[in-house]
Amino acid sequence: MPTLTIDNQTVTVPDGTNVLEAAQQLGIVIPHFCYHEALGAVGSCRLCAMKFEQGPVKGIEMACMVQAQDGMVVSTVDAEAQELRAAVIEWLMLNHPHDCPVCDEGGECQLQDMTIAGGHGIRRYRGKKRTWINQDLGPFIEQEMNRCIQCYRCVRTYRDYCGGDDFGVMGSRNRVFFGRFKEGKLESPFSGNLADVCPTGVFTDKTCRFRSRSWDLQEAASICPHCSLGCSVIPGARYRELQRVRSGINRQTNGFFICDRGRFGYGHVNHPERPRTPKLQGADAAWPEALQLARRRLTDIAAKVGPEAIALLGSPRASLESLALLHDWAKQLGGARFCGDPQPGRDRAARQLTALLGSRARSLEDVRRSDCLLLVGSDPLNEAPLLGLAVRQAARRGARVIVIDPRPVELPCNFQRLSTGPEELPQRLEHLVSTTEPTDDLSTLRTLLHQAERPILCGGGDLLGEVGIRQLAAAADHFGTGLFVTLGGPNSYGAALLSGDGPDADQLCEEMLAGKIRALVCLENDPLADGPQRMARALGKLEFLLILDHAPNRLSRQADVFLPTTTVAEGSGTLVNNEGRMLSFSTVFNPGIPLGISSEGGHPPRSFSPTTAGGEPRPAWAVLAQLRGENQSPEMIRRKLEGRDSRFAGLSLLDPDGEGQRVRGGGHPAGSHDQSFPHPAPEGSLPLLVVEQLFGSEQLASLSPALDAVQPDPQVLLHPETAAARGLKEGDTIALHTELETFSLQLKLNAAMTPGLLLATRLRDTPLELFAPGSPTPCLVGKGGGDA
Amino acid sequence: MNLYQDIKATAQAYWITLRNMFRKPVTIQYPEQKRVPFERYRARIVLTRDPDGGERCVACYLCSAACPVDCISMQAAEAEDGRRYATWFRINFTRCIFCGMCTEACPTRAIQMTADYEICRRDPLTLVYEKEDLLIDGPGKEPDYNFYRHAGIGVVNPRGQGEEERPPADVRSLLP
Repeated sequence: MPTLTIDNQTVTVPDGTNVLEAAQQLGIVIPHFCYHEALGAVGSCRLCAMKFEQGPVKGIEMACMVQAQDGMVVSTVDAEAQELRAAVIEWLMLNHPHDCPVCDEGGECQLQDMTIAGGHGIRRYRGKKRTWINQDLGPFIEQEMNRCIQCYRCVRTYRDYCGGDDFGVMGSRNRVFFGRFKEGKLESPFSGNLADVCPTGVFTDKTCRFRSRSWDLQEAASICPHCSLGCSVIPGARYRELQRVRSGINRQTNGFFICDRGRFGYGHVNHPERPRTPKLQGADAAWPEALQLARRRLTDIAAKVGPEAIALLGSPRASLESLALLHDWAKQLGGARFCGDPQPGRDRAARQLTALLGSRARSLEDVRRSDCLLLVGSDPLNEAPLLGLAVRQAARRGARVIVIDPRPVELPCNFQRLSTGPEELPQRLEHLVSTTEPTDDLSTLRTLLHQAERPILCGGGDLLGEVGIRQLAAAADHFGTGLFVTLGGPNSYGAALLSGDGPDADQLCEEMLAGKIRALVCLENDPLADGPQRMARALGKLEFLLILDHAPNRLSRQADVFLPTTTVAEGSGTLVNNEGRMLSFSTVFNPGIPLGISSEGGHPPRSFSPTTAGGEPRPAWAVLAQLRGENQSPEMIRRKLEGRDSRFAGLSLLDPDGEGQRVRGGGHPAGSHDQSFPHPAPEGSLPLLVVEQLFGSEQLASLSPALDAVQPDPQVLLHPETAAARGLKEGDTIALHTELETFSLQLKLNAAMTPGLLLATRLRDTPLELFAPGSPTPCLVGKGGGDA
Repeated sequence: MNLYQDIKATAQAYWITLRNMFRKPVTIQYPEQKRVPFERYRARIVLTRDPDGGERCVACYLCSAACPVDCISMQAAEAEDGRRYATWFRINFTRCIFCGMCTEACPTRAIQMTADYEICRRDPLTLVYEKEDLLIDGPGKEPDYNFYRHAGIGVVNPRGQGEEERPPADVRSLLP
């Protein structure tokens, strides 16, 4: 812990801290470009010059390149250092164009701030400026190379931190160019971070090009709703339109970066088909009328048939506050059925995880610092991209990465792949801990895990299922390590904690078919898209269906009562991420039809109205409180939940800008359930495994028009050997006959996947949407076939 | 003593009135008679065009940021040729205090103030000016300035062929 003096102030910093960081701790701002907390220092911008007056280093040095040592006396205001900084920033600005008015970085330009801070105010250079021909880098990132100051941050982010290899630096002397070898889409799923790290306007967000200045945006700390990791994000809205999402900083979860799904998947908030008015059987209605009808019908059914005839179905994308109100409502009704997740497989996996995690919980930061990672049934880049990024950081520090998965998993780092069938995952884990077969292919893995100091077992909830998670926890205990399991949605963990050992959606479906359940309340879920497969039939047996949702819901027209709710960006609340960390988010803006849509591109209306067009959606917790006839605030709900359930202690004190807090205590696994196939697999069938894809699978992001350009084509993957045995070749259109549906898909061969398995991605608005992700279905393969 | 003061004050007041009776009056018979303001008088705001006839405004939002009463609003968009322009631009003259901060902030000389001071209407909504009400046909002050000729992003001239630009760098060249 060296102690040094900077500008006559003494500071003690941890070992390995550089002088620039030490100065930042004192609140001294020194211009710098190449230094970034996540990327480290390279000393290439030459801007953070300080005068080292006494101690082991003497003279003018770059502060980011000097480790803080005892006895250093440093001056940042020394005339010589200031003069050097002013000269350096003047050189950096020589070729910078005169286009700030049309640059999207304007208003949040670090180059501008640093130029002024560096002491260069008036341009002296009158010569000609260097120009470039820009590249088209795909639908997400806009390039304007003229503005480049060669700080190398983009390459260090894209190649070093994110592991992309299709972007780099090329050229010589003052012709150093940052881009792709050929024009084209940036392939890394983390390409959007270029817009965040570029200190000037070379790389900007194409989806909000020329939309707003940063000072006009309404911004607040929020949580990304597109996977279970709970990355910190800062959405920005203007004129009732969510216009961009940038990465927030949470050192325990995402660190400094987010993935492209989280960054560009915000379009669901502005979706033109988003339901914004309460509806009674498809017809627009007023709030009081709709609320009154819903309340009356539910009390009638509860009084007539009993409270067990009402089912309340939550969702992993609903906030903890609204789920808690829903859960409490079930009790208040006298024992209505409550289930937190419409997808039974994911629900059971999540509940199993909440029951087992406890002290085995590890954070993404722990993953980044791990020295041996075993990924079982987890495809990070498709299921939870930031886990892939964290795995890369561990690998860069020398960690060994081993993947056991039936899919052709790709990672942005080197790893060892052990192929296996989707149903053999639990057995493989069992073999891993049993010492009876010491010489199988798992023996090296066993040794690695025993030798490692900080190993972590990562899993994917979809493929592991509840049995797999139990095995993974047993393996974690055997090796004395922790777990990091990804789940289905942003609040899967919270929903599972509240569900406890209550029924799952499958059971609710059975009871609906049996006529025991007469009324169903769906909170922010689409049971037709994400529910059990029999849901469509079961819904027909209901007397009353109430839906609360903010996304275009298939049932919004059919439901007896539909009530519009707000999205994550339009309300405040709490989500519990996959490691049981409660993360709160605050309101970015109030709902309403975006001005760009309501004015059809023209100027805003020239008339005044006391209400906002499309401003009717209300936060789900508020709607639920009104349905219960109460007047509640999120603070009251949080305090009540804390008081009722000690696992959520500290909930009311959470800070949206903070790092969140783990829940105290676990949940219950779901009750026993028959998981065998209803029918034996037919002769000659192959298991069809439908899995999540980075783009196109997650419901909210699939509604974002910005992601349309990267939507993958539906196709089915097969191992070349399996294909050859059946006389199929790449590009064939094959017909797939499943119990659910028959459809045809184009065949693609992949040698990295497990043989004897059909692999398809669960794309929204295709027949594949109906399949529960991660659980194999027997499927007969035929040649040809009509249209998909 | 008091009597002397009273007489003096009365006489002085009459004297001032008497003296001004023979002066030329400063008031004019508005609106029959109109005053011609100075060239740099700050009144009704206009949006000007560059010497080539294109809109000067690039919708950079600096005027709306500088405006102390928040009377300017706009939405930027990109034209097919890459030009940034305002799809709509609104100045609420019921709120404007004619301070001139917007013209000072404008980096492209688009927003300028004219000497037209006669801006009053019975209906306040008619004082909310849209882009078509604001845009004039001429360049106004600084008639030769065209921002895009200096920006180097290649809207009015191909990239790298502006007066202050070198031709685009050749990335693949290995020459020293």
